[in-house]
Amino acid sequence: MRISCLQENLARGLSMVSRAVATRSTLPVLGNVYVGTDGGRLKLMATNLEIGLSCWVGARVEEEGAITVPARLFEELVKQSPPERIELEVDTRTETLHYRCGSLSASIKGIGASEFPIMPAADEAEGVRVRVDGDVMAEVVEQVVFAAATDETRPVLTGVLVEFEEDRMTLAAADGFRLSVRSARLEGAVEAPLRVIVPARAMGELGRIVKQVGGEILVILTPNRNQVLFHMAEVDLVSQLIEGTFPDYRLIIPKSFETRVVVDTARFLETVRRALIFARDAANIVRLQVGNAGGPAETHEQAARLVVRAEASETGSGEEAIPAAVEGAPLEIAFNGRYLMDVLSVVGSPQVALELTTPSSPGVFRPVGTETEFTHVVMPMHLGGR
Amino acid sequence: MGIRVLPPDVANKIAAGEVVERPANVVKELVENALDAGATEIRVEVQRGGRRLIRVADNGCGIPADQVALAFEHHATSKVRTAQDLFSVHTLGFRGEALPSIAAVSRVTMLTRPREQAVGTEIRLAGGEVVSTRPAAAPAGTVVTVEDLFFNTPARRKFLRTVATEMGLIAEIVSHYALAYPERRFTLVGDGRTLFQTPGTGELRDALLAVYGLDVVRHMLTLDASLDPQSGIRVHGAIGGPALHRANRKYLIFFVNGRVVRSPMLTAAVEQAYQGVVPTGRHPFAVLKVEMPPDQLDVNVHPQKLEVRFARGDEVFRAVQRAVRRLLVEEAPVHRYTRPVEVVDRPLEEAGSPPPLWPEKPRPGGEARLPGAMSGSPAPSSHRPELPGADVGGTKLPPLRVLGQMMTTYIVCEGPDGLYLVDQHTAHERVLLERLRRQRERQAVPAQRLLQPLTVELTPQQLAVVDEQHDVLRRLGFEVEPFGGLTVVVRTLPEVLKDHPDPAAALAEVLDGAIHDRRGLSWEERLTVYAACRGAVKAGDPLTHEEMVELIRQLEQTDLSRTCAHGRPTVVKLSQAQLEREFGRR
Repeated sequence: MRISCLQENLARGLSMVSRAVATRSTLPVLGNVYVGTDGGRLKLMATNLEIGLSCWVGARVEEEGAITVPARLFEELVKQSPPERIELEVDTRTETLHYRCGSLSASIKGIGASEFPIMPAADEAEGVRVRVDGDVMAEVVEQVVFAAATDETRPVLTGVLVEFEEDRMTLAAADGFRLSVRSARLEGAVEAPLRVIVPARAMGELGRIVKQVGGEILVILTPNRNQVLFHMAEVDLVSQLIEGTFPDYRLIIPKSFETRVVVDTARFLETVRRALIFARDAANIVRLQVGNAGGPAETHEQAARLVVRAEASETGSGEEAIPAAVEGAPLEIAFNGRYLMDVLSVVGSPQVALELTTPSSPGVFRPVGTETEFTHVVMPMHLGGR
Repeated sequence: MGIRVLPPDVANKIAAGEVVERPANVVKELVENALDAGATEIRVEVQRGGRRLIRVADNGCGIPADQVALAFEHHATSKVRTAQDLFSVHTLGFRGEALPSIAAVSRVTMLTRPREQAVGTEIRLAGGEVVSTRPAAAPAGTVVTVEDLFFNTPARRKFLRTVATEMGLIAEIVSHYALAYPERRFTLVGDGRTLFQTPGTGELRDALLAVYGLDVVRHMLTLDASLDPQSGIRVHGAIGGPALHRANRKYLIFFVNGRVVRSPMLTAAVEQAYQGVVPTGRHPFAVLKVEMPPDQLDVNVHPQKLEVRFARGDEVFRAVQRAVRRLLVEEAPVHRYTRPVEVVDRPLEEAGSPPPLWPEKPRPGGEARLPGAMSGSPAPSSHRPELPGADVGGTKLPPLRVLGQMMTTYIVCEGPDGLYLVDQHTAHERVLLERLRRQRERQAVPAQRLLQPLTVELTPQQLAVVDEQHDVLRRLGFEVEPFGGLTVVVRTLPEVLKDHPDPAAALAEVLDGAIHDRRGLSWEERLTVYAACRGAVKAGDPLTHEEMVELIRQLEQTDLSRTCAHGRPTVVKLSQAQLEREFGRR
């Protein structure tokens, strides 16, 4: 192989794929990045066998070929090279990559490209294809992926449910204590409903990449359904799917509520952040008092506010009232303040509605004043014995 | 007041006291009778921990009508005829004590029919007196029903522990026999709920599966030792692999010639075989059957026959130790734990009494006193390192500067007067425990509601605790409801357990810890202790510098003199003086 490309482009491509490099693998080739020619462009690939990333970089190809080289070292070298043209040449006999950039020359010992795992390519992959707008995908992923579980005891919960039905896409994720669901319209309709669970990590990467490259995403579900491929303008992401049945999120979302409170999202977020100063030493418990819980509202002002309160028995306590539009009975409920921060940070609308029923039933957050179909369910906390 | 012979009813009650201390003893005696009667199906039914009702039904040989009344006479037995027979007892019972003793302190109904007779007999007794005897229709075998145990000995009744505790002991006894006799079908029913049923296939593994579940059986190795021709001793059973260990010795179960026994000597033999295989402070899991010629064994030592005396204890010790060790070495890569370091300061001691190292104290007259047994059974405390004494002073820590984490287990800190090593798990546990206790006093333990209720399968003992300590669990933040059979639904978790990798397992672990804690604390305290334990970071969890600083900050505010869950040291100090000595600066 002999090619040349711009330092800037190669550095960008490597930073794109390096997130898939295996950090601690018994298979040395997985710690390497694949560097090879592909129809007049340079193709970079990395995989940890759970997810795989491919990226194409514009290059002048003089001789076809490929090799794998240690990912960290190569990325570091390219990043610190001067912004000039880089020439790469593979010596297949010694499995060495010769590198030249300006006055710098280097050679890197690699592993033969044939040892690198085969990754499905978008143009060859068979299966159901769905087109999704990149900006929509980025937004949907951001609103959902944080709710996925991090521990492995219930594998399905470490994933994001991705559903396509007619002209709608729905993503859902849940850990043991909260659930995030977001739907969006597709340009075209799918023939038959599709439902897969994609690891949250892969969805997170997809969100990160699509923010950088934009454009449209072609989602390809392979026939035997154990892989999903997201094809973008210059990047492909392949992920294994998680087997199992995702809990039916429709059953978890409450159908009705007793109390609905609408507040300014940014104001609410700030208030919760301040409450956490005290809540930190008290299991992050943040109490919300909607209207005048404990009695009828004395004044209209009391009824139309949300009081956010936190206390730690050793440290002290703090409270803050914010104006609110309250509908229904007054109520007091407690949540983990971190969970409130998480949802308020992604809700995306200037105002947010919180729907409540009792102090021990779930709280439902929804954006207000937008078409966005986003629902977030948080389970409350309570103090034992009360 | 002159000396006089006690009237028979008083004498009987005293004799009964030796055999029947609590419901579990009744179950034991009745199950042994059923086994001696050759039953292949034994069903034990218990209500209210055995206070209200104990019923043991078997399909054994039954008792002929003309001998039924005799069965309740003292020293009436079909199992031993002459004194000579005592030295070659093959049956579990032999003294003729059990039935009269039980009858003396309860209301007993026995329904029995030998297979070859058409009609059975029903006999009713109350306080040892026969109330009625009549012919009755009966299935082949014997059904003994014991009601209102200790109705005429209020003092004994008062000393019964909670239903959960008594039920737990009964479950333990029945499960032990189910394991000893895997070829017989055992069913245990508690308050109308089937707690377990062994299939009676004759395979120990099947019985283990029924009693302890798949998680345990998966890790068990089958021990199939052949007969040792010299000593005539055979050791077989199942033992846990290195991954299976427990916080106490309750899961070291021994059967000697089919009899469930407690034996410090056998325990020591197994623990010695496991040395270096399970972590220090943990105990192996083993179900071992020791078979030997009956003349090598004296079973008539203990009123409840829980202990036996071996004629050649050292041979038994060696046979058991060798058989277990051999299998461990064959089946599992043994990796040795090194002895603790020498240069260790005295840990900050507990103010309360430390938990006993040896909960089952060898009783006077027990086998541990036999010279033969002693030679082969080293005192278990000798495995423990002796920690040299020096005073740290005070019950609070001085301000410490975190240097780093070692072996992802210890936090290394610099103090004003030396180097401090902090066990991250016990330290965090102490912090959580104090917090939980404070929150509990204010009825304010934070609980997190689950998005979807979790279902958890419990053991009979765990379930009994859930039933009985429902309110205590709720105050601790566990909202748990029965869900049929052994399954419960968990709706909320204590906040400290929220990040437990397996919240469902956390409940079972907390219950187990509390069940096997023998420090005489209240259920509430025990459950609190184990909630703190399970919520704490584990040894092996990597911590960031900030996390360590925060943990040490919280530990500095903690009163170290209060008991922690394991009675293990939390902080070990290497004083400046000691360091200087080691480096020859002094």
